[in-house]
Amino acid sequence: MKLLPELLVVDDNPADVALVSEALAGGLRHTKINSVGDGVEAMAFLNRREKYANSLRPDLVLLDLNLPKKDGLAVLAAMKANPDLRRIPVVIFSTSQLRKDVVRSYEVGANCYVRKPGNLNEFFAAVKSVEEFWFNFVNLPPKENDGLSNHERIAD
Amino acid sequence: MTVTAAAPAAAAGSEPLPSNSTQLRVLIVEDSPLDSELMLHGLQRGGGFDVTCDVVQTASAFREGVKKNPPEIVLADYNLGEWKGVETLEILRQEGLDIPVIIVTGALGDVAAVECIKQGATDYVLKDGLTRLPEVVRRALREKKERNLRRQAEQDLARKVDELARSNADLEQFAYVASHDLQEPLRMVTAYTQLLAERYAGKLDANADKYIGYASEGAQRMQVLIQDLLAFSRVGRNGFTHGNVDCNSVLEEVLTSLAPAMQECGAVVTHDALPSVWADRTQVAQIFQNLIGNAIKFRGQEPPVIAVEAEQADQCWRFSVSDNGIGIAPEYAETIFVVFQRLRARTEYPGNGIGLAICKKIIEHNGGRIWVEPQAGSGSSFKFTLPGHGPDPADGARS
Repeated sequence: MKLLPELLVVDDNPADVALVSEALAGGLRHTKINSVGDGVEAMAFLNRREKYANSLRPDLVLLDLNLPKKDGLAVLAAMKANPDLRRIPVVIFSTSQLRKDVVRSYEVGANCYVRKPGNLNEFFAAVKSVEEFWFNFVNLPPKENDGLSNHERIAD
Repeated sequence: MTVTAAAPAAAAGSEPLPSNSTQLRVLIVEDSPLDSELMLHGLQRGGGFDVTCDVVQTASAFREGVKKNPPEIVLADYNLGEWKGVETLEILRQEGLDIPVIIVTGALGDVAAVECIKQGATDYVLKDGLTRLPEVVRRALREKKERNLRRQAEQDLARKVDELARSNADLEQFAYVASHDLQEPLRMVTAYTQLLAERYAGKLDANADKYIGYASEGAQRMQVLIQDLLAFSRVGRNGFTHGNVDCNSVLEEVLTSLAPAMQECGAVVTHDALPSVWADRTQVAQIFQNLIGNAIKFRGQEPPVIAVEAEQADQCWRFSVSDNGIGIAPEYAETIFVVFQRLRARTEYPGNGIGLAICKKIIEHNGGRIWVEPQAGSGSSFKFTLPGHGPDPADGARS
């Protein structure tokens, strides 16, 4: 049985998390949305620590840059440094249009950088396209780390 | 051996000095007591100075003397046996003192005289021409005063320029941060008023729909204003790369992006072969985009006919973008370049009045200028200048 796609939204603004849910509500894909409000929570969720012990690994992370406690780039770097997490695609979702934020994000290993549009319809369109692209057209890696045996894994 | 002969001036002259005499502290470097007496005499009797004076002979005594009690002027004999009076200049330089030195000497060949002046002596006076001394001293003091005033003025100016640059940078930074940080909360207002409008239209009463509409419109307009302000403040920031920009290819791109708007109203754009300019490519594109875009927007009854031309001016290229549109009354020729200034109602012609302000800022950052001239018949002609090439490398080496 094919499981529903799981999306982790990391954003400290509940209004934005609500907009993401609104955007995907009623869609055909029934994407399951989890959300956390800061970088430390995000790492706890991804590493299934404490209250997140029973959560599933997400198929995709929608990551804001400006976060309390541990910012988006630090979360991204920590994910890419962790063999269990580095395969999960990360979409940066931020208001920032600063060149340095865009460049740094890709350098640290973001899969793409999407600017949060100011207009509601554009915002919805952006979130829906991310969902459509990653969960319909993209071949995602297997969820758990048992997909590859050690010798199949590309040496670091 | 150090001989320091203190010869207070008050004791040297027996006749009362004129009451309007100038106080003067002198350090004489001289190995002949008779000669120092003559100099002193020349200054007091001949020059009417009220002199306080020390006499030193050796370099070390001189150094000590200027450090302990810096004089207003140094009178130095040229030939002092073990050293030369002109060496006082080097000592003063080492001690960081700006004190005029006058070489007083028996006989001085042309070569030595030139050498003294080259080293920085203010002047030289021959010992058998000491009547000149007071005038030479006065001139030296006057020059020093002027030098100080000039240096002070230069320092004041440099400080003002510094302050201005800093306050400008602060302002840019403020505009940038403010508009950047304002966007985030405003985005919430815009998004949620839109959501309200979409979800609850017709479900509340008629007034509610209208009010939500007003709030939503206002928020969206403010969003555009902030975007514009951000774009405007970004013009002054770093991150633009200057190089040779071929205006033909830039114009081609701009016309491609404006094609839908041009087709809609049947606009025609004609242009010369355009030169290359020294600027940032994106910014040049923005200038053409804004000016041609305006020419299309502010059109008259006829379809727009727009001409882009360029001619060589002194050190730069002078461009013109001329149209047959509604034109601009001469009294508004300046105001149109001010940020957020609009001449027409928003309902008549959309826009925030940022386009020309951005053009002006870009052009002025590139050392050019922009102005508008009325067109014969109707319409207006925007002129602007841009440098044809980068800063001369030789200029950079010189400054």
